[in-house]
Amino acid sequence: MTERAALRWVSRPGAVREDRRFVTGHGRYVADITPPGTLHVGLVTSPHAHARITGIDAEAALALDGVVAVLTGEELAKETDPLRQYLDLPDVHWRPLAVDVARYAGEWVAAVVATSRAVAEDGAELVSVDYDPLPVVLDPEAALRPGAPTVHTGHGTNVLAHREFSWGDVAGDVARADGTTQVRVRWNRNSTVPIETFGVVADWDEHRQLLDVWASIQMPQFPDQLASALRIPGNQVRVHFDVDVGGSYGVKRGIKHGVLAGYLARQLHAPVKLIEDRAENMHGGDFHGPDRIFDIALSYTADGVFTSIRIDVVDDEGAYPGRSPLQLAKPIGAIVGPYRVPSAVYHATAVTTNKTGQVAVRGFGQAPTNYAIESAVDAVARELGMDRFEIRRRNFVAPDEFPYRIPSGTEYDSGDYPAVLDKAVTLADLPALERRRDELRGAGKLAGIGVATCLEPGGGNAIFENIMNPANDKTTFPEACRLRVDGSGAVVAVVSISSAGQSHDTMVATLLGEELGRDPATVTVLRADSLSGMPSQSPVGSRMTIVLGEAIRAAATDLKDRLLRVGAHNLGVPVADVDYVDGDVVVRADSERRLRWGEIVAIAHRKQHLMPDGVEPGLEVVHVAHTPRSGGLTAPDGTVQLYPCFSFETHLVLASIDPDTGVVDLDRYYLAHDCGTVVNPEVVRGMVYGGTAHGIGVALYEQFAYDDAGQPLTQSFMDYLLPSTHEIPDIADDEHCTPSPFTTFGQKGAGEAGYMGAPAAVASAVNDALAASGVAPVMSLPMKPSDVWAAINRTTEGNS
Amino acid sequence: MKPIDFDLHRPETLDEALDLLAEHGDDGKVLAGGQSLLPLLNFRLARPAHLVDVGRVASLAVLRRTATGVTVGAMVRQASAEQSPAVASHCPLLAAALPNIAHPPIRNRGTLGGSLAHGDPAAELPSVATALDAVFVAASIRGRREIPAAEFFRTHLVTALEPDELLTEIRFPATDSGTGAAFAEVGRRRGDFALVGVAAQVTVADGRVTDARVCLSGVADTPSRPKDVEDMLRGTAADDDVVRDAANAVRETVEPVGDLHATADYRRHVAGVLLARALREAYETAERSEDGHDLRIA
Repeated sequence: MTERAALRWVSRPGAVREDRRFVTGHGRYVADITPPGTLHVGLVTSPHAHARITGIDAEAALALDGVVAVLTGEELAKETDPLRQYLDLPDVHWRPLAVDVARYAGEWVAAVVATSRAVAEDGAELVSVDYDPLPVVLDPEAALRPGAPTVHTGHGTNVLAHREFSWGDVAGDVARADGTTQVRVRWNRNSTVPIETFGVVADWDEHRQLLDVWASIQMPQFPDQLASALRIPGNQVRVHFDVDVGGSYGVKRGIKHGVLAGYLARQLHAPVKLIEDRAENMHGGDFHGPDRIFDIALSYTADGVFTSIRIDVVDDEGAYPGRSPLQLAKPIGAIVGPYRVPSAVYHATAVTTNKTGQVAVRGFGQAPTNYAIESAVDAVARELGMDRFEIRRRNFVAPDEFPYRIPSGTEYDSGDYPAVLDKAVTLADLPALERRRDELRGAGKLAGIGVATCLEPGGGNAIFENIMNPANDKTTFPEACRLRVDGSGAVVAVVSISSAGQSHDTMVATLLGEELGRDPATVTVLRADSLSGMPSQSPVGSRMTIVLGEAIRAAATDLKDRLLRVGAHNLGVPVADVDYVDGDVVVRADSERRLRWGEIVAIAHRKQHLMPDGVEPGLEVVHVAHTPRSGGLTAPDGTVQLYPCFSFETHLVLASIDPDTGVVDLDRYYLAHDCGTVVNPEVVRGMVYGGTAHGIGVALYEQFAYDDAGQPLTQSFMDYLLPSTHEIPDIADDEHCTPSPFTTFGQKGAGEAGYMGAPAAVASAVNDALAASGVAPVMSLPMKPSDVWAAINRTTEGNS
Repeated sequence: MKPIDFDLHRPETLDEALDLLAEHGDDGKVLAGGQSLLPLLNFRLARPAHLVDVGRVASLAVLRRTATGVTVGAMVRQASAEQSPAVASHCPLLAAALPNIAHPPIRNRGTLGGSLAHGDPAAELPSVATALDAVFVAASIRGRREIPAAEFFRTHLVTALEPDELLTEIRFPATDSGTGAAFAEVGRRRGDFALVGVAAQVTVADGRVTDARVCLSGVADTPSRPKDVEDMLRGTAADDDVVRDAANAVRETVEPVGDLHATADYRRHVAGVLLARALREAYETAERSEDGHDLRIA
């Protein structure tokens, strides 16, 4: 790890090079890509939550001027393989178009291809589908009961996965506790809802035997899965990564969209474009997030010292599991939060129901788990009558205990939780915040202060696949960087990912500039496609500064090594006697003797006669890096090293509630955040603010809801309520830096910042306000005004 | 999310517009700002073969003070009415309600006539028009007619307008001196359709209510005007007991429906809360107005 004080560009205020392009409207999104002759896809979707498809009549649609083809699920299934799932579920088939049975309202049943999207929609209306409705199951707990209708009949049960873990001396730790507090919390179904819906353009070149794909994706193994489902070799699928993705935070998977468009492009010998509209996205995009019921039991001594935690969670995956059940495993790497808890039990159950499928969402299951843990911590504080700050301080892993191994076997890399909490308390001026709370109470409001202290595991690997399905022994999740110094000395860095607003160009240029001692502004960052590029697992799991940072360090080291050898050879000294200094090769004993960057570049590109033996011409290096600390499988006792780095955040929020209407207003919002060494302060601030806003949405507004028949109640942005500038208060943020010992500059993840703690903090504030008036806490998100009022009203009626 | 194929007509005069409606009214819709209609078209919930855009008919976009009140042309934008001094001084309830409609970009395009003819019972303007006994003027090639607000809103998204009729203007009566108004609503977010809204206007003489007008939105399939509550208030000083009784009376009358955003019980309760708040604010404003100093202007 490089000393931070010596950093010239990393952590310094610096322009975000993507901003101007986006702010001036010059992004290039998949919707902007329309090759000549493009055909457009419209979708026929199931109006039933569960129904047998008994007939599809496309005659009228095919007769419509402009309609080119109608494809049914049965036809598609004959020539493609089911989409990949990560659990061992041989009788659960996930396909782009339903075959025989539709399992949620909005599921795609047939695709209509036409000369325009409007005509495709006209055609879709004319496709007549006969359904025989089947019994529906919607409540995840009802789905577990014997006799419940099954979503996948062949599978025989609605349980897709059930795993039980017990780490440490649970019985002893519970026995020595003076009390155990149990809480049940409900994290209802929400998601990250990007401005851009999912889209894909696929174009098959019969003569080159190449499928070109432009897609709005943030999806590991997307090209491989596309090729495999389409039954064509991987080297015939070229996914272009130089496409801007208009928001994702996990959800832009789109594998079924890609397979459908790819298949149609190959069949029709024309470019095929599928851009979801908002209704298709919300109903059938298979992008909803965790939908969980937690039962937590937290044991503690009379002094408020935690002894053991037990978490039982049921997650409603919807109709098709895809990658979503793995989100139950990721939180195992931070299952005790930032607290010193010597033992833990974790029972995780993934259930299928007649709702649209889940997919990865920001934090991969960590934010709901953080909410559950923090709710239990607050409940213990209420039980003991102990200050919520004090109980946290008493149980924090101490700064001198790192690396700290939690019961589930994961080591936390570094942290200073008390210092970050202190920073938040100072930033908020807690005594002043308490006075403000009391003023609000004096004015007739219910008012409360919320606190949440939460972890963000970063540097994502895929070991959760092994945890949930031991047959899956994937242990690496690499990223790569190619460096090229051209004949004039200009530097190009190539990566093989698409970005969804994470400012990767800025990050790569900054880290590389720092490695090479060259101004980042002079570095060009380019995106290779999936065939010309390097192995990559995509920017998920707050991993790019960490894993790509490692690849950049290694590639830069290879490059510098080559420059040193050319330099030493021409300076007539051994390689051991020269140093690399900002591009020049300098004799250590005599800094006057040096070969400059331009001279070395010229030799490497054009002067074989000056090259040492064994050094390749040109200056081109590539490095593929493992994730730090990965490589091991889950141990037989269920212990495992999950992610390598642990960012930390403390939220402090003052909520004011109108007791007569239950409307919650966030009066003040403060946050202190530690993601180790910050690469670009503006980017991190953007992540923190955006993630906090997202978390406020989850806490108070957002939900994908269904009625008793399985019809989606959230049909548009009239009902899926994203918080606007009116709902998000000013957020004051202070950064702390505890570098990670496992990364190149001490950086940790920040892509899930803010979101890790905001739902818990807002819930804590609302429940603090309610508790002060003797009202029982609301233990379900989102907390709607009618929920808050009902809680108040129950108490009022109980007292009268 | 593309509308079905339709013909767009853009008449320049009222007569042209009425001719078009006479020809296509049964299979057409009037486009008057489009803030509700365009989403309905895109969802294909509205499927007109003809769309008559009256945005170019200049005579419909006039707002004027008359001897008896304020007459607002159907195509007057909500933002224009919001900024109108005539509305502020003579139609305080309308002035109070307008800022609650959605967000500024929507009010910049949305029109009074468009919103009223759309007839959404959760919207602000139908409630205001009902409370004030506004008069709706409808024109067709068959002639003109005046429709009292009480007869205009038939049910959810259905009004008294015939397919060939165009709403041309809305006449709001001027308020007497000693009048105060208030609009209160609760939504999940700022700018959302209200879970419940209350429009209240009170006229006070010598501290006693001489006229009270109350209308609720979001609790029934039309704007809901509880006349018995208005009667309860007349002759009183709108003190705490009276207001509490009024709120309870409203809770007993309304029969709201629960949905994803709020339960029926919540809406019923909040109807009373907002009624009390709106009445207090309206009464206090009226008293100040009677005293000759209006704090809104001060």
